[in-house]
Amino acid sequence: MVGPVTRLFRPRRLKRFRQSVAVQLYLGLGGAVALTLGASAVGWVTFNQVGSAQNRVNTSNVPDMAAAFSVAQRIGALVDTAPRLSVAQSVEEFDSLREEISRERDAFGDRLEDLAERRGQSEGVRRVRIWGREMSQNIEQIEKSTAEILELSKIRASLRTRLDELDSELSQLLVTAIDDQFFYVMTGYRDLNTPPAERTMTFLDEEVDRYRRLAALKEGTSIGSQLLASAFSISNADLLVPLRERYEAASTQIGRNLPAVGWGEMGPAIVSRFEALFELSVSAGGVFDVRRRELEILGQQSTLLAQNREIATELITEVEGLVSGLSTSTLVATRSTSDAVRTGGTLLLVMNVVSISGALLIGWLFIGRHLVSRLERLSLRMRQMASGDLESEVVIEGKDEISQMAGALEVFRRNALEVRRLNLVERLAEDLATKNEELEEVLADLRKAKDQIVMREKLAALGALTAGVAHEIKNPLNFVKNFSEVSEELLDELKEILPEPGVPVDEDSQIDIDEICEDLTGNLQRIRSHGERADRIVRDMLMMGRGSQEHRPTNVNDLVREHTNLAFHSARATDSEFQLHIEDSYDEQLNTREVEMVSQDIARVVLNLVTNACYATDEKRRSSTEPYMPTLRVSTSIDGERLRITVRDNGPGIPDNVIDKIFNPFFTTKPTDKGTGLGLALSNDIVREHGGQIDVSTEPSRFTEMTVNLPLAPSPVTTLDA
Amino acid sequence: MTRLKSRFATLAVACLALTWGSASAQDEGVYEDRIVFGQSAAFSGPTGQLGRDFRAGILAAFSEANRAGGVHGRKLELLSLDDFYEPVAAIANTRKLIEEEHVFGLIGAVGTPTSRAVAPIAAERGVPYIAPYTGAGLLREDHWTNVVNLRASYVQETAEIVERLVKDLDIRRIAVLYQDDSYGLAGLTGVDRAVSSFGLKLAAVSTYTRNTIAVKTAVLELRASQPGAVILIGAYQPVATAIAWARHIGLNPVFATISFSGGNTLADQLNAYQESEVYVTQVVPFPTSGISIARSYRRALAAHNRRQSVGFVSFEGYLAGRMTLVGLERSGTAVDRVRFLDSLLNGPPISLQGYSLRFGKGDNQGSNGVFLTVIGENGQFSPISRLGDSF
Repeated sequence: MVGPVTRLFRPRRLKRFRQSVAVQLYLGLGGAVALTLGASAVGWVTFNQVGSAQNRVNTSNVPDMAAAFSVAQRIGALVDTAPRLSVAQSVEEFDSLREEISRERDAFGDRLEDLAERRGQSEGVRRVRIWGREMSQNIEQIEKSTAEILELSKIRASLRTRLDELDSELSQLLVTAIDDQFFYVMTGYRDLNTPPAERTMTFLDEEVDRYRRLAALKEGTSIGSQLLASAFSISNADLLVPLRERYEAASTQIGRNLPAVGWGEMGPAIVSRFEALFELSVSAGGVFDVRRRELEILGQQSTLLAQNREIATELITEVEGLVSGLSTSTLVATRSTSDAVRTGGTLLLVMNVVSISGALLIGWLFIGRHLVSRLERLSLRMRQMASGDLESEVVIEGKDEISQMAGALEVFRRNALEVRRLNLVERLAEDLATKNEELEEVLADLRKAKDQIVMREKLAALGALTAGVAHEIKNPLNFVKNFSEVSEELLDELKEILPEPGVPVDEDSQIDIDEICEDLTGNLQRIRSHGERADRIVRDMLMMGRGSQEHRPTNVNDLVREHTNLAFHSARATDSEFQLHIEDSYDEQLNTREVEMVSQDIARVVLNLVTNACYATDEKRRSSTEPYMPTLRVSTSIDGERLRITVRDNGPGIPDNVIDKIFNPFFTTKPTDKGTGLGLALSNDIVREHGGQIDVSTEPSRFTEMTVNLPLAPSPVTTLDA
Repeated sequence: MTRLKSRFATLAVACLALTWGSASAQDEGVYEDRIVFGQSAAFSGPTGQLGRDFRAGILAAFSEANRAGGVHGRKLELLSLDDFYEPVAAIANTRKLIEEEHVFGLIGAVGTPTSRAVAPIAAERGVPYIAPYTGAGLLREDHWTNVVNLRASYVQETAEIVERLVKDLDIRRIAVLYQDDSYGLAGLTGVDRAVSSFGLKLAAVSTYTRNTIAVKTAVLELRASQPGAVILIGAYQPVATAIAWARHIGLNPVFATISFSGGNTLADQLNAYQESEVYVTQVVPFPTSGISIARSYRRALAAHNRRQSVGFVSFEGYLAGRMTLVGLERSGTAVDRVRFLDSLLNGPPISLQGYSLRFGKGDNQGSNGVFLTVIGENGQFSPISRLGDSF
């Protein structure tokens, strides 16, 4: 069945197909790889260019620019720091600023050297160096002068404090003195405890003049303190000279007025304070001197700072020149870099477009159109097969692995079809076995049921026989009883006849004794034989109930006779009107020849047939209006190798419509309380078990003859019925 | 005058052992076991006695509280610096107290010009400015959030004097001698307003230079106008000098002054000049009176310093201390400056053993009480209810 398919896939052809697919794939992939490699190569070249351009910038231009920038930065820092130096308020601030400047200067020098190294001793660098040196010197000068200013400002501060104190004290003293003098002029009182002075014109002139001078002193003091305050606050050194002139004028006036005042106790305090005041203001190291020096230095400093700014401008211009040169070359480098990047980018883009569209084309044409669609068709077919459609053939197209797959699928389909058929047979066999098992189970159940039915039938038969059995047993028992009574009488008679011991017996007596003894013996023999008969009947009964299945040699005539009687007596015991004339004819041979059989089973058959005959004839007798003698003919005979037991009655016979059913179980014509419908069925079974059969011969309203045919030799057939 | 050389010298008297507790999350000046207050006032110079007395009063109240275990377990400390009644020094002191010493609040400043210079500094930093010894109106303006005044204002004092002069003695010519600064001007303004309210004009106005006793020219000016009464607004020394000289040269009107000028030192000075009969308005009850708070004050002062004499200024200091204690008590354990000020200025009225202080919206002045006194022979003060009463 697989022959035609396998033929398609001979190894040589298979190999050719593979190569063809591999070629397709390798061609497609190789194309894509080639495109990618091309793009990568372009990228590599571009980046190489960019890298080298960048390298140029990195290694020379950028550090050069950085160096130039940091030089410019340092210049800026230096120019910024210098003015802060000139306005330093404390020594600490000054020192920290100086340190900062020193650091900045060092840093500037370092950066400059760095730049010189990078750029070589160019003209620009040389100029930067010169300007830098100049600025450095300039700053040193500022530092020096600032230190002086700080020193001077310290002196100025202490001068100011002292002058303020003097001013305040002088003012209070003068206010009080003026107050006193005015009061004195007005009242003549100098103090509370002295009487008022005498007031003459001279006194008044003198005292008023004194008051006037005190007032002038107060005014002069005020003017002087204002001038000093101005001296402290002005920032223009040129204005200091006129200030000083005016102050000297004021102090000259004070000096003129001072001795003219007739000082009392306050005199020394006021004079000494004025002297101190003048000393602190106009002497060398006084306010004006200190301020002049301060302002001069400040002037120098501002000149220096201005120079510094100029130098810084020059320096920055120089550095800018350097930087701009550098930035031009950097610009060129950067431009070439960006050109390279742009070209590379465009190339990469083109290559990418080509390689992507190439890949897409390969994918669409080969994979999509050629492979995938075929695979989809194959897959669809597989799904159809999976859902049971094995009938239509698989279409094989193309010359590659897919067609190989399709071929394999076709083989598979045919195999699957075959397997499906095989599966069907197997399933039927299985069903059959299952059915058999079920049947066997049913059969076993049936057997069990049958056993129970048989047992019931046996018991029913037994019950029906009870009356007959009783009669059959009673009969021998009567014999036993009668012969026993006769024997007792005989024994009494014998006792009378027998002489006393030691007396000889006469002849007559002896004859009588002998006769009596014979009679006794005969009686006892009869008693024994009847006892044995009763015993046998009982034993048969018991055996019938027990159902022994042994085959044993049986006297068929005795069996038939006894069970015919049993059935007859049983029927008569239940119905006193029952009549039956029994004719029998037993085969002589059978009196001596015992036949192997299950005797009680056959006995049951006989019983059943006779009982049926009794019933049938009795029914006929009851329903018959004509004189009728129920007659039963029982016979045994040997016909060749077969034994025949015939039971014939002159009953109503069996109607035609019933004759086929009489051996069916549970078929009966009797009322439900009379029969089970099993008797004939079981009898038929028993006879068949013995290898025989029951023949029926009947003529309605005339007779029925049932003949049991049995083999003389026991049947070798083992039947299903145990 | 030579005292001025000791400018910036500090008079820092730590009243209790300084155990420097670790600063906690509480407000500045508040430590686990203590609260530190600062005081910048005159302790030397012509007004030095005011600062010393006021301080004694505060310390009497603080020591009294400290003996009872402090407030919420914290002892009270007072750090005092001398400002010589000079605004410049007061500014320096205040900065030092707030920025270096980290005091909780400032208490018992003496004088109008000093307070005027310092109170804005404290306000800027939210530092309580408690019971300055001044009645100047400018510290009673609405905008203050940190100033807690104890005493009645100069306006109230001068109004009382003028009213009594006019009503009790029927004096119509009232002159003023004032010190040439903001204190003097505050007094002058008060007097002028009060006189105007009676439909009168000031008979004369003269002035003298602060921190001098050059008052004689001014006395001559006053004599020229022949006033019936002269109200003196100045420091105690010049005031006493002016009164002495005036009487010496035959100017003998009714002299009256206000609390700032007229403390016990004025009485002493007058006594030195053998002058008497000067009316003085006070802003605290008579310190030797039998009222409950006065008795407590005398007991506390004696317990603090046996040699300290009883007087108006130290009584005011004591009341200031007691008021502060109430504020701290009300603020609870987690006291801070805001809570403290709020508890005083927005809390219920305070009753210091019957002496009541009442603050309210737009009213940062606790007491309106003005009490009339007169300085009699031997520099003895007597309480009076109207001028002309026998004393």
